[in-house]
Amino acid sequence: MAQDEKHDGIRGVADRAKDAVGGVVGMAAAATGGSTDSESFVTNAVIGDIYELEAGRLALRRGVSEPVRRLAEALIDDHTTSAHQLTSTFRGMESAPQPPLELDERRADMIDHLRKAPDDAFDARFLEQQYLAHEENVRLFRGFAESGDDPRLRLFAAASLPTLERHLDLVRGLRSH
Amino acid sequence: MSFNPLTEKGIPLDRQLRDWSELNIEPYRLDDVHPYTRTRIITMNGVEVAQIMFSHNMARHTVDVGLKKQLARTRRIEAQQQKAVSWLIPGQESTVENTIGYEQVAVDLTAWVARNEPEPYLRQVYEFGLLEDFDHLYRYANLLDLMGSDPKRIVGEYTEITPGRPTIFEHRDPADDLRRPMTVRACDFQSVMNAITILAAEQQTMNFYMNVGNRPEDPVARGLYLEIAEIEEQHVTHYESIMDPTLSWLTHLVLHEYHECWMYWSFMGEEVDPRIKAIWELHLGMEIEHLRLACEAMKAIEHRDPAEFLPAAGLDRPVVFRENKAYVRQLLADQVEFTAWDSEIVSIDRLPRDHRYFAYQARVNRTTPPSETIIERHRQRSGEDYRLEMEGPHPVAALRRDGDGSSLAYWQAVGRNAAE
Repeated sequence: MAQDEKHDGIRGVADRAKDAVGGVVGMAAAATGGSTDSESFVTNAVIGDIYELEAGRLALRRGVSEPVRRLAEALIDDHTTSAHQLTSTFRGMESAPQPPLELDERRADMIDHLRKAPDDAFDARFLEQQYLAHEENVRLFRGFAESGDDPRLRLFAAASLPTLERHLDLVRGLRSH
Repeated sequence: MSFNPLTEKGIPLDRQLRDWSELNIEPYRLDDVHPYTRTRIITMNGVEVAQIMFSHNMARHTVDVGLKKQLARTRRIEAQQQKAVSWLIPGQESTVENTIGYEQVAVDLTAWVARNEPEPYLRQVYEFGLLEDFDHLYRYANLLDLMGSDPKRIVGEYTEITPGRPTIFEHRDPADDLRRPMTVRACDFQSVMNAITILAAEQQTMNFYMNVGNRPEDPVARGLYLEIAEIEEQHVTHYESIMDPTLSWLTHLVLHEYHECWMYWSFMGEEVDPRIKAIWELHLGMEIEHLRLACEAMKAIEHRDPAEFLPAAGLDRPVVFRENKAYVRQLLADQVEFTAWDSEIVSIDRLPRDHRYFAYQARVNRTTPPSETIIERHRQRSGEDYRLEMEGPHPVAALRRDGDGSSLAYWQAVGRNAAE
């Protein structure tokens, strides 16, 4: 089991603030270029899946409450399915966009902040990130499902969107408790 | 030679109703029926059943009484067509003999579809299912041989009988039967026709086994039908998941009717029995009119012209039954150890140790599956299993009679998981 360096106090506040700003940046991106352009959509969708799988695995290992651990299991299951569906969609495209293989700096920072969260703050930090990430993902997928420039990827987005919306509803519910 | 049902004239609907003597016609003779005449009959029965069930489901979601009336009238004729086709199968042909015919359909029809599928991902989907149905043929053939009837009488020289992907390993978590759907707007029309074809065939196989699998008296025979019927449920999930889920009911109706035209035209061209050829031709004339009515309904209700998505020049490739021995052998060599993870087809070695596949296998195979028991029974009685290998020994060494079955990657993966 990895020995996560835990950030207490001021560093923890800074991490959370940076995540929130990143979330705003992400939402703006999802609402503009990411919404219609295949390359941009695929990049953000794949990074979204990679982020959710890493965050989910961390939460399964460190989550304190049972609802958070169950959410983590659902995230891992559903984002694995989503990643596979997207890979299968590429197989039907003559020239599929090149997916990224790792997180961008913004999402890598989020994972780093999650790793460094103190044990008694982990669940809250995780849920906060999940809220930001899912708000961004829902906007990205909804926009592309409506206006994307490739019909096969539009179908993928439309098929995956309801799951993302349910995740967002679940996260909202957990945060309010 | 191409065929465009949109430019042909069909039989008016009010002249399509037949009396009992016209429907309850003489079945084929077991002694001289061509194996592919049988498979054409089994296929068209499946196509008609699929159309009838689709029409019923559409009617349950239709508020428009006028459209419901049209569906009911057309469906009544489809129901007569289904009887005329299915009643060609004689009562003397036993359920298990007919089952061999079903699995020959599954192998050789799926092989044609896969070899004529323009999209590589969809081709993989068909090839994956094919190797499983191929194994079902082997298991049922062993049952039939134990009952004293020769499976070669059914399949003739056309289809080999030997292990495929072992049925015991085909049982998967339901999530791993869901593939990626096609997009009608962005795919080749042949892909759409292919999917409707195989979905109808597999759905009817599922229907057949789930309803007649309890007819044998022998517990192992009953168990074999039960087990394979569960796989056919998997196959229907697998094939229906490649269909475009965004289409309107009327679009589906038009595509189904177009598909029926294509199938009857195909089989009319291939049929060797003149009496049955005449049935295919008659039904083609009926379906052309059903298609016209469906197109008119789409124009009137959705204000869309089916010419938007139907091929302007029609189709030039009939679906035909031919032998596929070399093709199936190559698939066995390359893909017998494939499994599925969500929408992806992968080698069994790619599954992580905690994959849901292993938990599912452990649960349902807690007792020995009937598909293994039937082979063991044949070996005990005859010294070996039943096979019809016309092109040499099995292409996979582990699946040969003298092969070490436990060296198959599936046995290794499942055995390793069970030990942990």
